[in-house]
This record gives sequence, structure tokens and C-alpha cells, in this order.
Amino acid sequence: MMLAACSVWLLLVCLVLYSRLKVAASAPTCTNGQAGCHVLSLANLFDRVIQHSARMHGISNDLHSEFELYFLPSKNQIGRVSRNCHTSTILTPNGKENAQRMAREELTEVILKLLVAWGDPLWHFHQSLAHNHEFSNFSSNKSLEMSDMVHELRKGVQKVIEKMKMLGIIGNSLGGLGSSESLLAPVSAEWRLMKDYDLLYCFRRDSSKIQNYLKILKCRIVPEHGC
Amino acid sequence: MMKNDGGVRVFWLLLLFLLYTRGKSFSVPGKPTLTRCRSPEKETFTCWWEPGSDGGLPTTYKLYYRKEGSEKEYQCTDYHTGGKNSCFFNKNDTSIWVNYNITVVATNALGQALSDPLNIDVYFIVEPNPPENLNVTIQNDKGWPFLRASWDPPTKADTRSGWITLIYELRIKLEEEDEWEIHHVGQQKVFNIFGLQSGGTYVIQIRCKPDHGFWSEWSDDVQVVVPNYFPNKRSAWVLLMVFSGMVFLILSWLLHLNSRNLKHCILPPVPGPKIKGFDQKLHKSGKSVDAFKSLEVPDFPHHTFSKSEDFLVEYIEVYVPEEQELMLEKSNNLHNGCLKSESSVSDCDSGRGSCDSHTLLLDKSGHQTNTQDSQTDEQKHGEALQGENLAYTHQDMVSPDMSAGRVKTWPSVFSPLPQNRSTVDQTSSIEIAKQHCLSDSLLPSDFLTPYHSPPGHCTREHLGSNYWEFDFGNKQPHLTQPQTEACHQIQAHSEININTGVKAEPAAHKFPTPRSNEYVEVQRINEEDSVVLRPVASNYDKLFEMQQGEDYSRVKGVDSDNVLLLLQKEAMEEEMNMCPCEQLTDTTGAHYTRFARSPEKPTACTHPTPQPLEERVVNGYVDTATMFTMPPY
Repeated sequence: MMLAACSVWLLLVCLVLYSRLKVAASAPTCTNGQAGCHVLSLANLFDRVIQHSARMHGISNDLHSEFELYFLPSKNQIGRVSRNCHTSTILTPNGKENAQRMAREELTEVILKLLVAWGDPLWHFHQSLAHNHEFSNFSSNKSLEMSDMVHELRKGVQKVIEKMKMLGIIGNSLGGLGSSESLLAPVSAEWRLMKDYDLLYCFRRDSSKIQNYLKILKCRIVPEHGC
Repeated sequence: MMKNDGGVRVFWLLLLFLLYTRGKSFSVPGKPTLTRCRSPEKETFTCWWEPGSDGGLPTTYKLYYRKEGSEKEYQCTDYHTGGKNSCFFNKNDTSIWVNYNITVVATNALGQALSDPLNIDVYFIVEPNPPENLNVTIQNDKGWPFLRASWDPPTKADTRSGWITLIYELRIKLEEEDEWEIHHVGQQKVFNIFGLQSGGTYVIQIRCKPDHGFWSEWSDDVQVVVPNYFPNKRSAWVLLMVFSGMVFLILSWLLHLNSRNLKHCILPPVPGPKIKGFDQKLHKSGKSVDAFKSLEVPDFPHHTFSKSEDFLVEYIEVYVPEEQELMLEKSNNLHNGCLKSESSVSDCDSGRGSCDSHTLLLDKSGHQTNTQDSQTDEQKHGEALQGENLAYTHQDMVSPDMSAGRVKTWPSVFSPLPQNRSTVDQTSSIEIAKQHCLSDSLLPSDFLTPYHSPPGHCTREHLGSNYWEFDFGNKQPHLTQPQTEACHQIQAHSEININTGVKAEPAAHKFPTPRSNEYVEVQRINEEDSVVLRPVASNYDKLFEMQQGEDYSRVKGVDSDNVLLLLQKEAMEEEMNMCPCEQLTDTTGAHYTRFARSPEKPTACTHPTPQPLEERVVNGYVDTATMFTMPPY
């Protein structure tokens, strides 16, 4: 009797897991031309990307708070921060009206530029944290996670762009994946001069920008959910 | 401008003078402090400061700020919107993701005071207004009500465009309570609340927060009353009481059913004393006879005889020594029906002389007389002379009535018959005090006392046969007097009986024992150390069930360890083989039965003979086979 009940329960568990796996596997992101795969809607893509960016911003915020405890910047440094962010050259809207006035393509491009600009610096930041024994493993892991997330988010945003292009929402004025070098070129290599704290400060701000811009985009393009 | 400055200075000097004359002191203003800056919708923001001491002079405050990336100093333009000591930054002046450096300057006549600068990023100082339009309704879910709260985001916060993303938080409590129950709602604007108290009044509030910012204030209270969905609280109590009462009844009933078991578990009964075979109930009912019935050892004494009468010893001849014999002969008196107990002689009290075997045994050696009779009269009456053990016999064989009857007719045995006088004389050598030994164990005293008390007074008499060898009529004058009456009575009674008994036995002269005879008298002990027994002619047919064909055995002798050796010619088939017994076959062909005095021997005995013998040890009754060639009857 007990044996039968146990076996039945196990079977049920297996079925559930399998069904879950099926569900997870049933929604891969499809490349162009692939047939038979479940296509995600743009709203879903946006949601995923926004969630991702939110998570990234959260990590950057945590790291910044942590660094603020250890490295209280002098008041003189406050003024210097803006000059030291290597992404300051990228023109970003600083208000709601400005952002709403911006075209979708511009906004998308800004996001992409930001993401691209932060790829390498974060990686190097992680490297410096890992090698520097002053910092805890927690910080090092966070920096690594942050670095990875930037890369992932960039890919995701690119997919969104492709989707939007496919749907005809945005034109083809945006450069594709290959245009990352073009985006990087105007960005100076000043980031190598930045200190850790300033870097974190700048990234914290930029990640919030990315998140916000993505939300604005989403609510402008696919406003049905959560806007 | 210059004039103004000069005028202002004069003014200040005068003021100072005035103040001096008044005795007050003035000073530069204290340093103001920027307390906080807040943005309600991430589009505008307001900063507040705390002024320091004014120094006694009117102080003005000004706010200056710089933006990130430019050195230009801006001044606050709106000091009123935010209230006192505030500065409101409008949309044009507000830039998100831009670092502001704000300073407040307090100025009075004597000097200035600068506050510490404050760096803010508007993105991170957002504190929205509380949500608006909180609406709580009561919904029904299959009879169970629940609350549905809905609200709107604050007006100023632009969530529609995605500029701000708000998350909400709801709290609820009963009106009379103090502690709130907080629910995290998320981004949705609707929330359901379950698990409500019937008839309770609830208070609900809500607030919101942007992704990275500060919580808003709680909204205004919204009260809601939950209807009574429990039909009646009282009825619920009634139901509960009824249910518990039923449960209680069932439990008590179960307890009652198992009360005995429980009692045994909790209070085990104390075992009382038990006597095996003893029936308490019978004892209580008063029938002591029955009660003690079970106490009897079944095989004690030997149960072998079915004819209990066979083993009833009515009397035993007791050897009387010669001098006494003579005495007795002389004093023979027919009219004196007194029984003389001879050797108990030494004491004529009851109970001893009758079956007292030791007297007989003692005199065996010197006993010669009555050989004639003894030889002719040798019967197979077996009689075990175990006088001491009178009282043990089987009660079932002898009913009390019978024994009583026997007792009554007892003395008839001793009533003298004239015709037998001669024989008596012949056998006068043996003076035998015959006494009936009744096997009635129950009434030993009953039958003994009336008849043994005057032991020597009843005359023995023959019963019309030549067997009787008692000293009849011998009376002892000295003894007769007090008991004359009794003796006469007895005598008379016995005469009658004897007569009847005589009539009953036409062939009484026959040598062998009369049919109904089951009593044996010990005649003597001859030279061979054997007890010669003679049957007593019995008139007691009606009283005793006498069986035919009884066999009596002759006591051959007594061996060393007090064992009576009986000679058994024909052993009657008896039902029960009572032990102790060992049958030894005699070379002569007769069967000897050897029985011991003490009946405690084990019952496992072998009976090779087909005719086992039942013997009763204690009473001296032995049912033996006829020794001589007697015609079987």
C-alpha cells in the first residue's frame, strides 16, 4: 500500500517536472528563419529586458553603497564625478519631456550605446576587484555578475531592436551588431583613469538610465501591460 | 546703489545703537542646515532647510545651487511653494541624473552664514504622494465575503508613460485593534483581502514607492464593515455545545460498557484465599454438609466399595480377659440389655471401646475360647479393626438416616436370645463387647454417645443365629441401675427387631452369613495371627442395602508394619480399586490382600487379580471373599 502510494507520488512529481521543463524549453528565442519555435512577443521581450536591467541596477546600487562605506569621497570629488564618467559624452535625455520628445530610434540607440560603453570597463573593474585582496568575495562576485549582466542586457536589447525592426516599429537607421565598434569609437578611454568608486557611481547612474529608457520605450511601443 | 548701501549701513548702525542702548546683543546668523530635498514625481523637487539662530537680527536666507558639469551658480527662484524655508525647483530647473550642489546662505545685518552643501540626484530623492481614490468593496465568494481594495496612483506621478514605476503597499486592521497587517501589493492597483471577521469593521490604508526612492505617506483611512456571514454566533456556540455533549455521552457510554475492564485495570481485585474444591456459595447458604463435600479427598478413604454397608462395622468383638469373662457370665442378665464393653473395660466411655482394635489385638494371643464357634462360624466377614479411625468413612455410603436407623436398631443386636445361650456359653470364653461401629463419619458422636455411654449395660444378644458370640444378658448390677431404663428400651426395641430379623431369616442357622449380612464381628484372633471374623446377622435389610455375594476375607494377620493381612478366597469385583493395596497371591491359591493402616499410599497399584478387592482401611471394613466354600448367594 505504502509502496504504491510512493510510486504514484513519484510519478506525479516526474510528470510535473517534465511539464515544467517542456514549458521552459518550449519558449526559446528564435533566430530569423527558424521554423517551429515559439515566438516571443515584443511585450514579453521588453518585460524580460526591463527585468534584467532592473536587476542590473540593483546590483550596481548595492556595490555603490558598499563602496561608499569604505571610501567616503571628499567633497571636492563630487564635482569631478561628472567629468570623469566616460559616458558623459553620450547625450542622454535628462527629463521626462526630453525623453518623450526623443524618437524611438534615438532612444534605443542611446540605450545601446550605454550598454556597449560599459562592457569593458566593468570587466576590468571586476578584474581589479578580484586581484585586489582588500575587497571581499562578495564584492568581487557582484562585479562579475554586473559585468555579465551588461553583456546579456546588450544582447537582449539587440534582440528587441531586431524584433522591432521586424515588426516595422523602428526603421533601419540603427546599426546592427556590427556597429558596436562605431559606437565605441567616440567614447574615450578615460575610464581607465577612473577610480573604482567613481566608476561605480557612474555605472549606477547609467544603469538607472537604461532601465528608465527601456520602460519609456516599452510604454510607448507596447503600452498594454503595466504602463 | 551706493546711496542705498550707505543708507543701509546707517540703518544698521542706528539699529545697533538702539540695540546697545537696550542692552541686547546681536550676532551673525547661525548656520542654516539643509534638511531634505524631495521630488514627488521626478520632475520637480523641493528643498527645505533649517535656519540657525538669527542672531537677533532679521535674517534672510538664500539658496544657491550648482549643476553638475557647469560652474554656473543658480539661485532659487521660488521660496514659497514649498512653505517656509524651502526652495522649489520647477520643471525647467530640474534635471534628472544630474548632480546638484545646493547651498543656503543666511544673511543678517552683521553677517552671513553658509550652510553645508548638499549633493543630490533627483532620481534618487523621489517621494511620491500617497495613492489616491482608495476604494474598498465587499465581494462574495460562495457565501464567504472578502474585501477588494482598488486605488489610483498619485496624480502627479506619471506612470502611464513609464517615467515612474510605483509599487504599492496596503495595510489593514480592525477598528479596535492597534496593530496593522501589511500587505505588499506590487505594481497592481487592485488587491483582495480574505479571512475577515464576521461583522467586524476594518480600516485600510495604502502607500506607494518608486523603484528607488522613498515611501509615500499613508493614504487616508477607509472604513468598511464586514457583514455577518456567520448566521449567528450564538447558534455556533449551541452547535458546539450539542456536539460536545454528544461526544461526552458516547464516551461515558463506552466507559460504562468497559467499566468492568477498566476497574480490573485500575483496581485489580485482590485475590482472596481459595481452598481447592471449597465452594463458598454453598457454605454461605448454610449447607455445611454440601460445602464440605468437596473438601473430601475422593479417594480417601478407599472408595472402592459400592456397598457401603459391607464395610459398616456395627460392632467389634472385643476380647475380654478371663476374670472379667467370668464376671460377665455371672452377671448375664437377659433383662439387662447392657452392652459390656470389655476391654475398653478400663473405661466404659463411648467411642473408644467399640472399634478399638488394639484391644482385640492385644488379646489375641491368649484367646482360645470360642474356637468351636469360630470355626463353624468363620465367615468371611472382614473387618478391619482400626478402631482409631472410626470416623472417616464415606458419608455417601451411609446416609445419616440410615446411620441413625442403624443406631437405633443397634442394640437389637445385643438383645439376648435365650436359644443362643448355649452357644454363648460355649463361646463364653470370648467376651466380646460388641459395639456397632458405624461407618457414618458424620455422626460419630451421634451414634456413639447414646449407645456408648452406657457401655456395659446393654446386653448382647444373639440374633437368632449361632454366630452371635456376645455376652448377652451379662449384666453388671452395679452398672445397670442408672441405665436400666435405657437398656430396657433398647432391649425391647432390639427384641422386636430381632424377632423380625429372625423371621426374615428362616435359614438363619445356616452357616454362611445371612444374605443381608454386612456386618462382621471379629471373633477372635487365632494362633495364626489371623483375625477371625464372623458376620453379624443383620436385621437391617431394610435399612442397608446389602448385596449378595459379598465376600469376606479372613484376616490372616498383621505384619510388622501394622498391615492387616487378609485372606481372600473370592474377591468380589469391586468398582474401585482403592489403594493402598497390594495383592499377593498366595501359594494356596487364595488371594491375600494386604492393606496398610495408613491410607496415604499412592494409588498406583497393580491389580493383577481380576477381582480386586476393595478395602477400607480406616474403618476396618473389608469386603473380602468368602474364605470357605460357601455357597454363593
